[in-house]
Amino acid sequence: MSLSMRMIVVLSAIGLISGGFLTGVAKLTREKIALNIQAEIEEAINEVVDNAEINTIIFEEEDLTIYKESDDTGQLAGYAVQATGVGFQDKITLIFGLDKTVTRITGMSIINQKETPGLGAKITDWDTFLQFWEDRDATGPLTLRKPAAGKPEELLPSEINTITAATISSRKVLEIVNLSLERMRNLINEGTILREPKDGN
Amino acid sequence: MATKSIKTEYLKGLWKENPVFRQLLGLCPTLAVTGTVITGIAMGLATTFVLIFSSLVVASIKKLIPAQVRIATYIVIIASFVTIADQFLKAFFYPISEALGPYVPLIVVNCIILGRQEAFSSRNSVGRSLIDALGMSTGFILALLALSTFREILGAGTFLGYQVMGSWFKPWLIMILPAGAFITLGILLGTALVIERKTKRS
Repeated sequence: MSLSMRMIVVLSAIGLISGGFLTGVAKLTREKIALNIQAEIEEAINEVVDNAEINTIIFEEEDLTIYKESDDTGQLAGYAVQATGVGFQDKITLIFGLDKTVTRITGMSIINQKETPGLGAKITDWDTFLQFWEDRDATGPLTLRKPAAGKPEELLPSEINTITAATISSRKVLEIVNLSLERMRNLINEGTILREPKDGN
Repeated sequence: MATKSIKTEYLKGLWKENPVFRQLLGLCPTLAVTGTVITGIAMGLATTFVLIFSSLVVASIKKLIPAQVRIATYIVIIASFVTIADQFLKAFFYPISEALGPYVPLIVVNCIILGRQEAFSSRNSVGRSLIDALGMSTGFILALLALSTFREILGAGTFLGYQVMGSWFKPWLIMILPAGAFITLGILLGTALVIERKTKRS
């Protein structure tokens, strides 16, 4: 066999064996990986919406997914919004919860981020950042409180806290939330997604 | 070629030819994922898996590979094992896979692995290649462990996530930032050189 033929045969054979092997591995792990991602999202939803037992996707596009959350009796428990946007270093994916009337943010969870360790990465920290997202006003754009407040009670309902030395990361999270909220309000006004009637509960 | 004993073949990777401290190979993951001990160990184990299996395959089929396409062939073999490691971590150790981010797929370009195929497995038997891969992997894990232990304790006051420093300790933020990785590597490389010189003199 000529040298060129041998090169073609060896490289092609290795490529084919490797491809076949990897197809098998992908088949074996695909389901488990999908379950891991789903479990991560469900855990985040449970953190941000109380009594969320059944998740139904009511809107989905590339960087925004809206889930309707129901409790175990099927009653509306609230909404969870999964959004992705640009952070300081890389994309940030987060999930925040909304009450039944879409007027109040009930909590925030960061699913994926690659912000600066020790600084911007504090967006995943409960004491520094996440606790200040509970009970925020969702009827208009939120603003950043700078310099940072020490306790959630010191903030106005439309304010979120800045992380000291990580203003950009804090602002990026705020921008993602404001954009998603605006998009969601438009979807409700257009009638694409339905807001449940206020039931006073 | 003069053959070394199996013990010498294995031990050379730990100190004399340590991939990080002596050959300065694989520095990208060494610097990038040693902010915590757990990510350092996980990277070390993933690299071990890829290095051992790539070495076994390359040593087994070395006579079939034409010299002109050897590097391309090695890369296909290495990339296959890296993809398996990546999928395995995503499926069974999801949080660690998330923490390591793009550095698992980047094992493909880790020079320790390609270097061992070119310098060792393509010229030695399967058994010796396995011993060499085990020694180099152990050396790499030890280097990552040294760096990550230093950085996690000083940068966060913890070891494997457990608090080891008292409440008086204020973490040195710089140690978990990229600058801390360079500083620590510099100190450890300097220390390794000093030890090497002292042992040579004595």
